Amino acid sequence: MASAAQRRIKSISYAKYGYMFIAPFFLVYCFFQIWPLIYTFILSFQGNQSAHGQFVGLDNYTTILFGQGVAQGAAATSAKFLNALGNTFILWFGNFIPQILLSLLLAVWFTDAKVKLPGKGFFKVVMYMPNIITAASVAALFLNLFGDSKYYFVNATLLHMGLEEPIKFVTDPVVSKIMVMFIQTWLWFGNTMIMLMSGIMGINPSLFEAANIDGANSRQVFFKVTLPLLQPIMVYTLVTSMIGGLQMFDIPYLYHTGANYSLDLETAAVFIYANFNQGTVAQANYGYAGAASIIIFVITALLGSITFYMNRDKDEIAQKKQRKRAMKQYKEKMKRGGLTL
Amino acid sequence: MSMKKQYGQPKDNYHAKIIAKSVFIFIICVILTLICLIPIYILIVNSTHGHMDLAKNPSNFWFGSSIGDNFNTLLGKVKTGAARQYSGSFDTVQGYVNSLLIAGSTTGLTVFFSALTAYGLTVYDFKLRSPAYTFIIAVMMIPVQVSSAGFVRFMYQLGLINNFIPLIVPAIAAPAVIFFMRSYMKSSFPLDIVEAARIDGCAEFRTFLTIALPMMKPAIAVQAIFAFVANWNNFYTQNMILKNDKLVTMPIMVAKVLGFDKNKDYGVDYLCVTLSILPIVIIYFILSKFIIAGVALGGVKE
Amino acid sequence: MSKMKRTLALLATLAMASTAFVACGPAEEESKPAESKTESVESKGEESKGEESKGEESKGGEVKLADDGDCLTIVCWTDTDLNNMFEVYTAKNTDAVVDQNIKYQNCGENGGAAAKEYANYLNAGDDVDLFVTEAGWILNYINDDAFSAPLSDLGISEDEYKDAYDYTVKIGTDNNGVLKGASWQAAAGGFAYNTDIAKEKLGIETPEAMQDAIKDWDGFMATAEKLKTATDGKVKMTATLGGLWQCFSTATGAAWVDGTTLNTTAVKEFTTMAKDMVDKGYVNPDVNQWTADWTNVGLGGETLGYFYSTWCLATGAQLEQNGGSAGNWNIVKGPQEYFWGGSWLCVSPNCDNATMAADFIRCFTVNADTMEQYALESGDFTNNKAVMEKIVSEKKNTNALLGGQDQFAVFVDVAAGINMDASISKYDQSLKDTYLNALQKNITKSADEILDVYTTDAIAANPDLSK
Repeated sequence: MASAAQRRIKSISYAKYGYMFIAPFFLVYCFFQIWPLIYTFILSFQGNQSAHGQFVGLDNYTTILFGQGVAQGAAATSAKFLNALGNTFILWFGNFIPQILLSLLLAVWFTDAKVKLPGKGFFKVVMYMPNIITAASVAALFLNLFGDSKYYFVNATLLHMGLEEPIKFVTDPVVSKIMVMFIQTWLWFGNTMIMLMSGIMGINPSLFEAANIDGANSRQVFFKVTLPLLQPIMVYTLVTSMIGGLQMFDIPYLYHTGANYSLDLETAAVFIYANFNQGTVAQANYGYAGAASIIIFVITALLGSITFYMNRDKDEIAQKKQRKRAMKQYKEKMKRGGLTL
Repeated sequence: MSMKKQYGQPKDNYHAKIIAKSVFIFIICVILTLICLIPIYILIVNSTHGHMDLAKNPSNFWFGSSIGDNFNTLLGKVKTGAARQYSGSFDTVQGYVNSLLIAGSTTGLTVFFSALTAYGLTVYDFKLRSPAYTFIIAVMMIPVQVSSAGFVRFMYQLGLINNFIPLIVPAIAAPAVIFFMRSYMKSSFPLDIVEAARIDGCAEFRTFLTIALPMMKPAIAVQAIFAFVANWNNFYTQNMILKNDKLVTMPIMVAKVLGFDKNKDYGVDYLCVTLSILPIVIIYFILSKFIIAGVALGGVKE
Repeated sequence: MSKMKRTLALLATLAMASTAFVACGPAEEESKPAESKTESVESKGEESKGEESKGEESKGGEVKLADDGDCLTIVCWTDTDLNNMFEVYTAKNTDAVVDQNIKYQNCGENGGAAAKEYANYLNAGDDVDLFVTEAGWILNYINDDAFSAPLSDLGISEDEYKDAYDYTVKIGTDNNGVLKGASWQAAAGGFAYNTDIAKEKLGIETPEAMQDAIKDWDGFMATAEKLKTATDGKVKMTATLGGLWQCFSTATGAAWVDGTTLNTTAVKEFTTMAKDMVDKGYVNPDVNQWTADWTNVGLGGETLGYFYSTWCLATGAQLEQNGGSAGNWNIVKGPQEYFWGGSWLCVSPNCDNATMAADFIRCFTVNADTMEQYALESGDFTNNKAVMEKIVSEKKNTNALLGGQDQFAVFVDVAAGINMDASISKYDQSLKDTYLNALQKNITKSADEILDVYTTDAIAANPDLSK
């Protein structure tokens, strides 16, 4: 059946085009990502401050992990790093749990055909809105509203309403953590909700119908149908959120008063940044920053591969289905020349 | 009568339940909407109050009259320390131009080169194809922070501090976007088209530009939204690279205002934050339908 | 446009440069000054032509830096001062046009941030001729030849600073005894207080009476106790621990480190004093220096006074924000003579506008006429004993915010008495921040515990140091 031209084309090797097409990615990636990563690795074996550039072996690792190193402050540095690591997990956990619960609840409600909800589209738009605001602006916004003293909006209002003492929203170790969790949830719940919604809409509607015919109530439908089928996308959300949590920087770094970032909110990313960004090279701790980076890298790799291998197959199949469906809807809407929500 | 009542009862009950549930959900949604909108509203309200005004009463729910004064301070039209400090560091237009320049060009580079790479990985069969794809998947989850110490040191050695290159060029390599685009191509890009194009004598790169790219529009649009928002809000990298006040972007300018330790003016502080938020919020509401639909589509990937 | 061109050029040389620099590794800092030295040798021939005689220039020695640049760029973190300076400078030198051949460049939003950001900026390859530093971290930059060149490279000799306040010269000198920075301010500090509160609550009517009441720390404490009784503890003696610390620490002249060992003598003493003051309710430990709260306690009448430095009282500066513009404030010397900051002009080894740079530095650190003019116009206290004494004796200055009081009259005495026996170190800024943080967070704990937190945090952040 094949024409002569087709046969000719079949015989030509197009492999070189493949390499050409993917070359820009690999060149740029190696230059701007891989080499800096290797460089960070090298830095993690070199000294800090005046010892920059000298090979110190594993000293930085033993210092920040076990508090055993050449520097007299090794134990304290280790305590600081472990505290930062702990904060990272506390802050991540504290914003992931409410975020996923809230988002799941909203996603189920919004996709429930039985619930008559006026202004559904408006709600979705408003709830996603915080996500597009720059984190720096969000930090500034909340700092201006939630300052520690009676000179700030929230405390002033609460004091008017009869509160005795202003709440230390910024400097209290516990309250400030809760605030950061709240801000992170505020920023991301809309995004997670919409992702989960598209996941739920990707579930075959006949399954819901069958469940309804069998007389299942909404709770049963949720636990027996929606949740199990939503598992892959939930795991995916979990993984991306976890990786995002390990990178949490902007809000914890900017949410403070006075000259320095708050130690109660110091995350691993802040620890890394603060150590290498201390002015001249002779002032900075590139060694600690490098070692901490590599440790975070290893943790990420571990978490990533565990979840990836646990969910590889289910994940891919479910995703494909959902994508197809979402794409179909999207195309249809585009065709109709406008989108309805 | 009684029969009717017997039949009617469960139905009414069912309806009542649904209505009660809907009302409950509606109330929750209204509360969440308020939580999302009130901070923005208070921010805008407070940016219309003056410094002294806010120090005496920070708890304002309605607009003040000092918006003009605050603008004069921000634009450096008065000769006070505060005016000089704010006008020197918070050039709204410049900030938007820089942010737009970076976010715009990174978005363009990201979607174009990701589509190119995804196309290369899908259409062509070559020895290193599957190792290359595995590599892309493997590096997809590496956080930027882990290489930032080396990155900033390296850029410093290259003299690329205060330069947009380290912020724009790396956008060419976006593994997650490639992953998404490849999956999209796998599911909805017929390879026969490429062969047909070859028969017509179309060069490979032209096939990509004129046939593949237009067909990938939905995927490109979705990823463009994500890339734009992510780069617009990228405080971390920009803050490491940009130290020159003519080059700084919106997030850095806001962080700067936050860090001023002398000559503070709270009204102007609020105004700066408002200016950094309001335009993007307005643009968002105009494009919201498109964006939400896009997020729903991209959500499958994210 | 030029940015674009440079960007393109950079892109082109990227590959080449990367290999070259990677090979150099950490040694690239050393190579920079060498480059600029060769440059300057080449340009030496031109300098006589470019030199416009502006009086003092003949005094100086040999100029070693290039002079072929087109714009004098001064890196700073606050343009407020530079703006004032440019006004004076361009009025004197009509050929200097702001943003054409003289401009400033902001880097960092405050002194602490600038300390961190400068390093990257100065080596970024952008035009830098002069840069402004603070006492707390000047040594980081002047002890590193990659960042700074001696003033003598511009032809400015140390003899020209005979009239400068001694402490500014001492701080501007690097570890090898070379003068690398000149301050245009002598940032003497005093205690500014709200005269209404003083009159109503303490019965103090004049600055002299106030000074008498707080002439030492015992007097300060006694006055604070009086104020507490009179106001039921509602009005604090001073706004922040940070202010108290500044006054106390620079006055006692205690060094932060000896070599690489932490020196905690002053820290110990102050911790005890600060705890005492907080326990007695003389100061609110929750208020941070330079924050909204700090401003608001002044505006809200919740504090008797602030520890203020010269630049807090300059035109359009802090007092307007903190005290309102009612003019019901006065300043006195306070318990001890201290200084707070100062701004040193340092020379970048990449400076390519030697003539103008030298002229600018002299204009604000040597030249009596322009320094007097700057002092009167900006309200800043310039670093020239003769000039400041002249202004005071001729009664040329009044400050409306201080109800017509001449702040210079107070600062002249303070500046002359500043104790600068202690050595400064490049760790000072970081240590100061660490200490105040430890103090404020743990104020309810014992002095020993606070000290322990401080030393632990300090050596954790600075691996070079030891207890």
